[in-house]
Amino acid sequence: MTFLRKLALTTALVAGLSAPVAAEDVKFGLLQDFTAVYTFVTGQYNQGQQDYLALANAEGTLGEGNTVTAIVRDTGNQPQRGIEAYNRAKEEGAVLFDFLSTPVSAAILDQAQADKNVVITPAHGRGDASDGTVFPYVFPMFATYWAQAANLIEHMKNNGGLEGKKIAIVHIDSPFGREPGPILTALAEQEKFEFQAFPYASPGNEQSAAWSEVRRYRPDYVLIWGAGGGQAVSVKTAIQNGIRPEQIHSVIWLAETDAANVGPAMKGVKRFEATAAGTEHPIIQRIQEKVIAPGKGSGDAANVGTSYYNLGVATMAVAVEAARLGMEGGQPLTGESLKAGFEKIAGYDAEGLMPPVTYTAEDHQGGGAGRVSEWDGEKWVPVSDWHAAYPDLIRSVIEKSAAEYKAGH
Amino acid sequence: MFYRLSGTYHTSYEADRKLWKIPTDRWLVIALLILALLAPLYVSPLYLGSYVLPWVIWSAAALSLTLLMGLAGQLHFGFAAVMAIGAYASIHLVRAGVPFELALLLSGLISAVIGAVFGGAALRVKGLYLVMATLAMQYLIDWVVVNVPAISGGAHATLRTPAVSFLFFPVESLAARYWLALGWAVLLTVFFMNVKRTSFGRALVAIRDKDFAAAVIGVDPFKTKLMAFFTSSFMGGVTGAILAFCFYRAVTPEQFGFNVSIQLVAMVLVGGLGSVIGSWLGAGFVLLAPIFLTNLVSGLAAAGWVPVSQNFLSHLPLMIYGAMIIGFLLLEPLGLAKIYDNIRKYFLVWPFRHARS
Repeated sequence: MTFLRKLALTTALVAGLSAPVAAEDVKFGLLQDFTAVYTFVTGQYNQGQQDYLALANAEGTLGEGNTVTAIVRDTGNQPQRGIEAYNRAKEEGAVLFDFLSTPVSAAILDQAQADKNVVITPAHGRGDASDGTVFPYVFPMFATYWAQAANLIEHMKNNGGLEGKKIAIVHIDSPFGREPGPILTALAEQEKFEFQAFPYASPGNEQSAAWSEVRRYRPDYVLIWGAGGGQAVSVKTAIQNGIRPEQIHSVIWLAETDAANVGPAMKGVKRFEATAAGTEHPIIQRIQEKVIAPGKGSGDAANVGTSYYNLGVATMAVAVEAARLGMEGGQPLTGESLKAGFEKIAGYDAEGLMPPVTYTAEDHQGGGAGRVSEWDGEKWVPVSDWHAAYPDLIRSVIEKSAAEYKAGH
Repeated sequence: MFYRLSGTYHTSYEADRKLWKIPTDRWLVIALLILALLAPLYVSPLYLGSYVLPWVIWSAAALSLTLLMGLAGQLHFGFAAVMAIGAYASIHLVRAGVPFELALLLSGLISAVIGAVFGGAALRVKGLYLVMATLAMQYLIDWVVVNVPAISGGAHATLRTPAVSFLFFPVESLAARYWLALGWAVLLTVFFMNVKRTSFGRALVAIRDKDFAAAVIGVDPFKTKLMAFFTSSFMGGVTGAILAFCFYRAVTPEQFGFNVSIQLVAMVLVGGLGSVIGSWLGAGFVLLAPIFLTNLVSGLAAAGWVPVSQNFLSHLPLMIYGAMIIGFLLLEPLGLAKIYDNIRKYFLVWPFRHARS
């Protein structure tokens, strides 16, 4: 790339054009897990990210001559490999990092803060990182797991009511599975419902024990909180145990592949979504036209428009927008100016691909909006509008947890 | 020629029992030690922090495990759990106000006691059955860490290590962290080479070769096996604490999962069971080969030489890595240590062809 840059610069000079600002190549480190635990999402997600960056370069989104390059590496979900990949990408000049892995993000968080590099943790990672005063360089970007749980609960409230109802939360037995716990406890009191947690052992290939307990509990609604192969098993086992698909509400990690694995019985299952699925969006259409059609796509064209692909597109759309705002005025992009760029984003919705997000120095979650969608047998159909549920409650949980983190330092 | 033997006479028992009897070996070791000590001066922070430092720490872990698996012949597939106990114990002790030096020792002791309790299974079962028992330890410790927020550190299960100092030197800069880890790894290396020459070391070897035959010649299998688990777990526990404070600096349960245990076993096996240099080479290979291969393949892909999808590109290094492990073990079943030994023996008598032994 340096060679290309030099070539471009030389050409510009030879042609006698005056270049007031040197063209800049912004680098993003997409150091993710392609081979171990997060494989269910990484392939499509990263493909969406790379394709969007290709679109941004084709359209010159970052301004005249500026380009954005992805440094993509596999970390195998191993923290020591993540640390190596981070240090290497940092030397190569990357200013934004996306690890899409909880253990790797956790191992690098402090170092990235010290280096003043932006780490995005879209739809995963620590919820309390939404508090920008404690985590100045971490951006969860979209609804955290807490906001997702609140959104799903509010959907139940608006569609059948909550008072006196019973909710079963069936989750993977890991810190991630336990995330919605505090939100449910707080909301149970406020909305007068009761809930019970039913953990199953990781990775969740076998959940019959948990679900026969759920059957005995006779819940009105079911929340499933897992990821990867375990999600399809959850839905299948739930239906075998007499739970109707309409009762099942899932965390963001339920997508087209899971629906294909479950089969026709999946119809009616609901999930939280932070970005819209499908190809009928201006950005996705332009990716089809300017990246996929010329053969510049980074993977199988059939993945374009899937939930995780669009999530990847949205992350990079926001990141490129932040980089554009950070470079306003012609200064070179650093971690600090990129952070400032993020905090200038107000009401950006990637042309309707996602709810409008606004980041401030305090709120790095961007409002925490999302919606609920339902599988109609072929695709995900939204059944609620973009909105943030119980934002005050979520904010108080975020601030409490962030304060604990700060105190534990 | 390279290893000059003429003129080297061992005229006393002491001289004959030296660790490195041949001057060349001795000079090599001293040169390596000096190079290692000076590494922060000439190795860039990228390579020191992401390659050399983890290599040193994992070598210490492999040495701890090979004492148990190589010397005493007791298979252990839950060694990451032992390190987890050390890491979590040390952090909680330091947070409770115990000085770091003492916390290291105590965390080693806590690991040693818990490790020896689970090692009790070795008194009744061996071989694959012992593997099952130690696997149970791995899952039990994992479960306890994840399910007791007081241990794992609250909702997000991440514990950051507090700032500490070791013998009045703050363990903060990369160089300081590296030197502490190096000190521990060198200490373990010297200990391991010496333990082979003690009655305890010989008892371990006797137990490995046949435990009831060892009992006949007067070695107490009960005591020796428990001691083996105790010693190895102590070393592993302190290594876990070093790993937490010198490398990760934020501890999560996933850092000590089952796959890490398997990696440690692979280090010991690929390096060569019961060998010191094998532990270093094995740890280096298992830890660094995937990273080098990933960077190599990505570099080739960036140059346009590997026109395949991102997904296949990510799995390609793993395929090469797997083939390399099989290749090395086919070439020399006794591991990398034996390959080194063969090379050394070749040069020992070079330009002649055959070495004794």
